[in-house]
Amino acid sequence: MKVVEIKNASKIYNESEVQVNAVNGVTLDFQEAEFAAIVGPSGSGKTTLLNLIGGLDNPTSGEIIIDGTNLAKLKSSELIDFRMRNIGFVFQAYNLIPVLTAKENVEFIMNLQKWSRKERDERTFELLKAVGLFERANSRPAKMSGGQQQRIAVARALASRPKFVLADEPTANLDSKSAATLLEIMEKLNHEEKITFIFSTHDARVVKMAHRVITLEDGKVVSDDVRE
Amino acid sequence: MIWKTAWKNVWRNKGRSLVVISSVTVGIFAGVFSVALMNGLIAQRINDALNEEVSHIQITSKDFRINNDPRLVIGKPEETLSKIRSVNGVMAISERTIITGMANTAGKSAGVQITGIDPEMEKKVFTVNKKIIPGTGDYFEKESKLSLVLIGKELAKDLNIIRYSVDTATLIRLKEKGLPEKIISKLVPLIGKRFSNEKQFIKEMKTVYSAGEALKYGLIIRKEAWSFREGSRLTLTFLDKDNNQVGAIFRLTGLYDIANSMFEKNTVFIRNSDLKKLTGISENDYHQLTVRLSNVDQTDEIADILAQKLPDLEVMTWKKIQPDLAMMTDMVSQFYLIFGIIILAALAFGIINTMLMVVLERTRELGMLTAIGMNKKRVFSMIMLESVFLSLIGAVVGMIISYILVRITGNTGINLAQAAEGFEALGYSAIVYPKISAGFFGIVTILIIITGILSSIYPALKALKLNPVEAIRAE
Repeated sequence: MKVVEIKNASKIYNESEVQVNAVNGVTLDFQEAEFAAIVGPSGSGKTTLLNLIGGLDNPTSGEIIIDGTNLAKLKSSELIDFRMRNIGFVFQAYNLIPVLTAKENVEFIMNLQKWSRKERDERTFELLKAVGLFERANSRPAKMSGGQQQRIAVARALASRPKFVLADEPTANLDSKSAATLLEIMEKLNHEEKITFIFSTHDARVVKMAHRVITLEDGKVVSDDVRE
Repeated sequence: MIWKTAWKNVWRNKGRSLVVISSVTVGIFAGVFSVALMNGLIAQRINDALNEEVSHIQITSKDFRINNDPRLVIGKPEETLSKIRSVNGVMAISERTIITGMANTAGKSAGVQITGIDPEMEKKVFTVNKKIIPGTGDYFEKESKLSLVLIGKELAKDLNIIRYSVDTATLIRLKEKGLPEKIISKLVPLIGKRFSNEKQFIKEMKTVYSAGEALKYGLIIRKEAWSFREGSRLTLTFLDKDNNQVGAIFRLTGLYDIANSMFEKNTVFIRNSDLKKLTGISENDYHQLTVRLSNVDQTDEIADILAQKLPDLEVMTWKKIQPDLAMMTDMVSQFYLIFGIIILAALAFGIINTMLMVVLERTRELGMLTAIGMNKKRVFSMIMLESVFLSLIGAVVGMIISYILVRITGNTGINLAQAAEGFEALGYSAIVYPKISAGFFGIVTILIIITGILSSIYPALKALKLNPVEAIRAE
């Protein structure tokens, strides 16, 4: 079942009167429960493509269809609501809310979606256990290591059971041990929750674990390898 | 969750938040306490004026107030009195005879209003009888061969009836009042000297004290150094009802001391019977009936009824007799409004500045929140709540401090001794008892919430304009 459909999407930026084709005619599909990595050199368009898929940016041409919904047809407020209900985000710099505890960060989106306290607690503790940080539920981000913060960010992204999770360079700021732990957790959750993971990465370890590797160069897909 | 996050965000940068909260606290305290002080001052002035000077309603013959002609008496006094007494809410009436004249001592004279009163009636309407300076006599209690006169302390000073001298007993009293030894010792060279008036004493004090010391301690020293010879006499001269000049010697029954020094200078009291005898005014005639009501709020209503019942007389409420008092209440409301706007505007700019810094510092976080699905309404609410919390915390602290201080000073009073003479010249007491209504705190709270909301609009709009893609990349 197709979760994401990208149809001939392009994104052109006008920088100092020079047009930059950050994404150039990309056509891709992502299926349910895929664990896919988008790789390529710096400036190849990985982050731009993730922003287009995540509805954070609009394509100059082409279409992005998420679970049957064409993002271009949504109004700004509808798009924000759509992101909240369908897409999980993991950022390179973790981007947790520093004043909230790990538990509060994880349940933040469930709160926005007005889940009941019981549902929230069950799901939050389930995810905190899954990322191995149940004991740190009441810790604030500043008291946790980078790896732990990124695991909380993964739990937050998965909290409301989105259609897919977009992770932009999730291991870039982590040491190798933390990165390995994070990847194992993400792969396990991908398997257990049947949620699609799409990464942009430079990290060879991520590429090694990915089930599908899409390579971009100059905004174009130059290879799309599916591994068994 | 938005409320919780906003609350926690307030404490993210504790130092900065505390600076803003402190400034709100100081602003609110300054505003509330100033209002309480003004309220106290005005309430006291009105209270003093009603109790000591004008009462609630005055009834005179038409034109008496303008002409002061002793022949303009209230006709058919018994019938008039019974009409007034029949009105519900009238508590007491005092009958007065009023003549303009001169008060004279050996070397001084002053223009005065001579008010003839029945002391027992007067006690039910006014409280001047409770304002007799201890040691100066009483309120027409003792019998005397000579007619008695009650005069104000300020008039006694003008007529050189009060003299000044320093003796060892004065120094002991000043020590008991808590004056520093250094200040008291400077008075030693003045022991034994006598000063016939206040001016001379002040002049002499300037030779031993610096300007600052004289300003700080002068009033207390003068209060302890003055002396009054009981039984002093003065002559009152005036025109009788046939325009003949008459005069008589009066013995001082006592000195009264009220907040209004102008009233003290201008008004002397003698018995109605003495004044009528001297002026030839009939025993049953009066110039003025002063009416005290059981409830001051009914003044206008009862005055209207009396005006209908007594169409040939002039019925004046205290607001018409002393329009400055009534105007003061309205004027002060305007003053509060302007003062409030200035304080709230200053607070608003402080909050806007802080919240703009907050938005700038949290650009990446705000971008992330928009990315993961926090809509504009929620982002706006979060920024707005932070502003409201910041202002409200400061306001609540400011109001608590104000409330405690108003409660304490409302009982003890604030002694503005250094400005006492100026205050008393305007009719205000130098001891002010701040007061404030509970409703005022409610108004302040609402205004602060509105200020917090308005102050958050510009920073919140800035936050809403953030592009999540660019914001997430921000350093």
